[in-house]
Parts: sequence; structure tokens; C-alpha cells
Amino acid sequence: MTDFKIHHRDGDGVSVIELKGYLDAHTAPDLETAFQKLLTEKKYNVVVNCRDLSYISSAGLGVFMAYVEDIRKNMGDIKLTNMSPKVYNVFDLLGFPILYEIYKDEQEAVSRFKEIKK
Amino acid sequence: MSRLKRIALLVIPAVFLPVVYAYDVVRAAVKFEIAGLTLFREIFVIISFTLIGLFIENRRKALSRNGPKEIGRVFFAVVISLLVVGLAMIFQPPEFSGRETMNMYHSALFMFISTLIALVLGVVSLYVLFTLHDMILFKRRKSTWRYYLAYLVFLFAACGTELPFFHLEDTFLPPIFFSFAIVFIVVNSFKQNWIVYLSKREKIYSIVYSILMFIVLTVLDVYLASGSGGNNAIISYSRPLHTFIQLNAIFGTIYFGVTFISTLFHLPTAEVFERKQSELNSLHNLSRLVTQVFDFNDLVNTVTQMTSEVCDARSVWLELFSVNVETGEMSVDVVSKKNITQQEIDLIGADDGTQLRRYLLDSQKVLLIEDIWSDRRTKYLKEKGFARGSLLAIPLLSHGKLIGVLHATKEYQNAFDQDDIDVMTTFADHVSIAIENSRLIAKSIERERLHQEMMVAQRMQKRLLPQRLPDIPSVEFAAVSESSFEVGGDYYDVINLPDERIGIVIGDVSGKGVSAAFYMAELKGIVLSLSKICSTPRELLLRANDTLMESLEKNAFISAVYAVLDVPHASLTMARAGHCPVILISGDSSELVRPSGIGLGLTNGSQFAQATEEREIKLKHGDICIFYTDGITEARNAEMEEYGYERLVQVAGECRDCSAEVMKDKILQSVRTFIGQGAYTDDVTLVVVKWLGNSKE
Repeated sequence: MTDFKIHHRDGDGVSVIELKGYLDAHTAPDLETAFQKLLTEKKYNVVVNCRDLSYISSAGLGVFMAYVEDIRKNMGDIKLTNMSPKVYNVFDLLGFPILYEIYKDEQEAVSRFKEIKK
Repeated sequence: MSRLKRIALLVIPAVFLPVVYAYDVVRAAVKFEIAGLTLFREIFVIISFTLIGLFIENRRKALSRNGPKEIGRVFFAVVISLLVVGLAMIFQPPEFSGRETMNMYHSALFMFISTLIALVLGVVSLYVLFTLHDMILFKRRKSTWRYYLAYLVFLFAACGTELPFFHLEDTFLPPIFFSFAIVFIVVNSFKQNWIVYLSKREKIYSIVYSILMFIVLTVLDVYLASGSGGNNAIISYSRPLHTFIQLNAIFGTIYFGVTFISTLFHLPTAEVFERKQSELNSLHNLSRLVTQVFDFNDLVNTVTQMTSEVCDARSVWLELFSVNVETGEMSVDVVSKKNITQQEIDLIGADDGTQLRRYLLDSQKVLLIEDIWSDRRTKYLKEKGFARGSLLAIPLLSHGKLIGVLHATKEYQNAFDQDDIDVMTTFADHVSIAIENSRLIAKSIERERLHQEMMVAQRMQKRLLPQRLPDIPSVEFAAVSESSFEVGGDYYDVINLPDERIGIVIGDVSGKGVSAAFYMAELKGIVLSLSKICSTPRELLLRANDTLMESLEKNAFISAVYAVLDVPHASLTMARAGHCPVILISGDSSELVRPSGIGLGLTNGSQFAQATEEREIKLKHGDICIFYTDGITEARNAEMEEYGYERLVQVAGECRDCSAEVMKDKILQSVRTFIGQGAYTDDVTLVVVKWLGNSKE
């Protein structure tokens, strides 16, 4: 099966999730688990770094939709960064840039969170 | 032999015996006899008794052949016959006593009573002989048969020497034949094989009946050897018959005497023999387990039933363990119990009882509690009112995993012996296999059922896609949709609208499988109903989004393109809800038409409306529009490369002059060739529309 890895790190009140490999219907539950964990830990400022994400399917996109509402309700957000052109195209086709803030660089997204805090 | 034939056997004796009686009366009256006629009289008697014997044997064959019952029956026959003889003696005329009865000339009453006594005792002695025959030849060996035959030979020889006319009675022959007959009686009396196969209960019956038999036959022996009047009456009636009755009575006495003693000696082993027999039966019954795997309840009930039979247990119950897939917790189900209530079983399972189960789980070994009340592992059950006795728990293992426990209890302490444990262990192995098989069969039946359901769903879904595409002179349509699973989330439709307009829709529900299929069906309903009301594609998508926002799950959404082909105006107006761009091939150029838009069900009305725009394309003769789902562009080969837009556009461009149908096939073939051996990982849908209107200018 396709390979998918999630790496999670915290810093400065922002949680960064790094995605690697293929995010599809088979691997989407892994990402769900990661988001669920963030919610239970009350970490609502989430940056998803897509630098190593090779592919995302509609099921993978569904995971963001499933959790963004709860996170935003708690004054948090999911911001997406470092997408390859191909992955960006998938997000873009579906109109995700209207719904999510997408940044070229992880640091940019992290600093956006900090600005809001101030 | 039919009933009629059997009765016919009695006709001749019914004629002959009265003839003999008449002859006797006449003979006594004239006090004279002819030697030859006396012989004929004896022959008449012999023929009569032979036929009576055949009649008895035929009747007996219709009855069951059970040793003790047979003895019982003979016993009552002998007792009744003795009573009849005794009763007859009450009416005896004076001539019955004393030696003078030995001469042949008596009163008619005397003759009648003699005939009666001879008849009754003759019949009974035949009955005894036939019964002995069955018992001796129970296990037929060459020697058994030979010895029995030898007895019969000497019996008839002894009788023969008593025939009148030949005057052999005073020679040395009668005592010699008589003695030999006695010798073979003794030899035959040791053929008591049938006793071995009796159950304990039957053996007790056998002891009682054989001793009673021994006593009544001894009485008969004494009577026949005595000089009493009754005995003399038989002798005067027929000497050969007297010898026949006498020898058979002796045979019966000795045989049943030996039966009594040997049954007595067999009694202690009766239980063991019976046990072995039932073990054998039960193990034989194991084959029943194999055939019962189709009904789980039958199977487990047979298991407890057989366990209780095999080791004669007070109560038996079968527990099976199952692990909850979600929580990982192990639960214990009592699937079958016999002679014990759930409350009692729960006593064992409760509190400290878990230790008992723990022990079985850890050791996976047979657990034997010799005394429930004193064993430290089960002592607590005493206070809880659990009956005293012993407990045997046999783990059921399948592939080295404990799947359940078979429990049996007995009333007494130390009641389970090694035999019980051995048999139960063997039994448990078979039970585990049978249970496992039963579960596997149930699982595969369930799987087959689900598969059938999915096939139905697949058929239903195929019917949701257009069965026929519109046939219009100026436009060519071609479409295909293939699911990667039984059911899919792709949808396309070509809808006839008023004013020579045609609605074309393609959609892709996020996710896969059954949930996607349901949304797909919903989408079709929404699109069909809205297509008649909404004037523009954008409006349709907006209203579809409003409806879908309510029904879709949070993580589900639908990408779609809705286009309206206006035939009179040669235009195609489309709006896109997050779906793959439409490929437009016009002349030598190709274009990805991608008006901005956002997937259905992702956001609320205003944001959706803001994001969604509409695009109108003026069509030229030969223009081709290709609608497709990402199953095509994201199809991957073994190297995980994607098919991509470039390939799709290139293949389409290469056959821009083909018909829509051919182009559809070419594209599909190209995708198939690209992915190679693998199957589609996503649903694939393709709609090709070729505009043939406003002919070349």
C-alpha cells in the first residue's frame, strides 16, 4: 500500500503537523487520529506542512473539513503550507484556497498565528 | 412366514392329537393293542410336537432378542405350565398314584389329563430349548455350533431309544445316549457370551431371572424324575416325549445355573463395560459434530449432551470466549448448558472466580477440582451455595488460542478418573475444530450475503446512470463510468431540457464505497429536479449546494460540473463546483476550461455564490468537450506516476477527428494501458460531447 507518515511537533503555542507520502482513503484515518489528539489536547493553532506530501485524495481533503469547524470554534485555525504545485492544484481545483489560508512557508503561517495573539 | 401359514402349522396337531386321544380311549376300552399301531401313535405325537415347535419358533422370531427379557418370558411360561400341571393333578383320578399306572389301560379322564400335561410340558420344553439355542449361538463359532448339534443328536437318540415296538429300552443304549446328552448339556452351558454385552441393569435382571429359572426347572427335574402320578401320566402318554422334556429341563437347569453364577461374576465389570461402550458410542458420535457445523446452536447443544453422556456428569456447560473488535475486551458467553442455571455458572465467574478463568487462560491446561468445597481455588463457592462435588474444566484450543472452556461437574468428590479426562480431552479437540469450522462457515455465509447485497447495490447504481444518451443530429455523445469498488461515487447524466437545450452533469463524491454511492444517488435526485427549474448552471449549483450542505457529513463533499448545451445558439454554458476542468478541443488548439468554483458541501451559500462563476463557450463545428473525473487524471502506474492532464489532452487531440464514441474508447484504452496490470484505484468516468452543428462555414 501507499506510504504515509505524520510527524507532529509543538512550539510557541503552534502545533505543526508534517505530512509525508500519499494521503488517501486508506491513510486518512491516521490524519484523523492526529487531529483528534490535537483537539483533546486543546491545541487549536495548527499548521499543516505539506512539503513532503506527494498526493492528496478527496478523502484526505475531507479530514480537514471534518476538523476545521471545531478548531475555528475554539478561536484556532488550520493553515496549510509548503505545498508542491501538484498538491496545490488539487486544493485549488476544489476551491480550498477560499476556505483555508495557504502559505508558501511554514514560518509565515506560524508568525500569522503569533500576530493574531498579540 | 405369514400369520395364516403359522396357524396352518397348528392344524395337523389339532387333528393328530385328538386322533391319538381317541385311539388311547378305544385301546383302553378294548384292552388290546397292535404293536404296529403303537408305533404309528408315537409318530403322530412326534409330528404334532415338531409342528408345534415350528409354530413356537416362528412366533418367537417376531419378538425381540434380549437375553434377560427372554429368560423372563421363559420363566413365566414354565411357571404357568407348572401351575396348569398342578391344577390338572387336583382332578386326578385314583389311578394317577401308584406303580400300577404303568400299564396302558386307563379311564378317558386319565387319558385326557395325561394328554394335557404332556402337551403343556412339551410346549414349554420346546420353548426352553429354543431360548437356549439363541443364547448358546449368540456368538457363533464352529465349535459352538458343533457342540450344540451334538447335544441335539444325543437328545433325539435318547428319545428314539424310548420308541415302542423296537424294544430298545432295556438295552444299554438309553443310559449311554442319556449320559452323552448330559455331557453336552454341561459343555454347552459354558456358552454364556451374551452376558458380556448386557448393561448393568440388564445383568441384574439376568441374575434374578436365571436364579428363578434355576429353581423352577429344578422343581420340574425332580417332578420328572419322581414316581408321582403326573410324571407317570407323561410316561404313559409318550416315553420319547418324557425323555425330551426331561433332558431339556436338565439342560435349562444347568444352563441357567451357570448363567446365574457367571452374571454374578460379570456384575462388577458391568459398569466399566458399559462405560467403554458409551465412550465408543460418543466418539463415534463425534462424526455428528462435523455434520452439525451448519447450525451453531445444534452443535453446542450436542456437545453438552455428549459430554454428559460420556462421563456421566451431573451438569455440563460450554463457555466460549469472544473478543470485542473495538474495545479489545474479552467476553464470556455460556452457549449451552445442561442441568445448571446461569446463576450457578455466574457464581463461578464472579469475584474470586475470575482466578479460575485466569488460570485456564494462562495455563491452557485441563483443570481438575477434586472437591469443590475444599480446593483452595473454589473454596469460596461453598459459602455461595454451590453444590459439593468435583469439577472438570477442559480448555478448547484453536490454533493455540483458547476459544472456550468445556465444564463438567459430578455429584461426588474425586469422581473424575483418568479415563474421563482422557476421553474429554480427545473430545475437546474435536469440539474446538467443529466450533471453529462452524464459525468460519457462518462468517463466509455472512460474507457471501454481503457480497450479494453489494451486487444488488451495484445493479441499482448502474441504473442511476443514463441507460441511453440523447440522439440529436448536431451532437454526438459518448460516456462511460467504471467503479473501482462494487459501488462508486461518480455520477454523470445527460438531461433533455426545454428549448432544445441539453444539461450535462458530471460529479464525484469524496470518499468511496457505500457512503459515496448514497450521496451519488442523492446528487442525481437534486440535479434532475433542479435542472427543470434553474435557468443557468450557476444557479443550479448554488441551489444544489444549499441542499447538500444540510445532508452531507462534515468530511464529505462533491465536486461537479454542470453545463447546458444550447443547440439553437450553438453554445455551452457551464459552472464548476471544484471539479476537474473541462477539456475543450477546438481545431488544433485545446484548452482546460476552468471557471472558478468550490466543491459542493464545503461552504455555505454566500461564500459558495461568491466563488462560483459561469462561463459560456461558443461552439464551432467539430468542437469537442471532455468531462471526466479525477479517476482518469490521477490514475497511477506501477511507478506511482499519474496519468495527468497532459496525456489526456494529447490522446484527445490525436483523435479530434474521430467520433465521440471512438474518442471515449481511445482515452479509456490509453488510461488502461498506462496503469498496466493494476486495477483502477478510483472510479473512472468520462463523457465526450462532440458538436456537429453549424456546419462548415
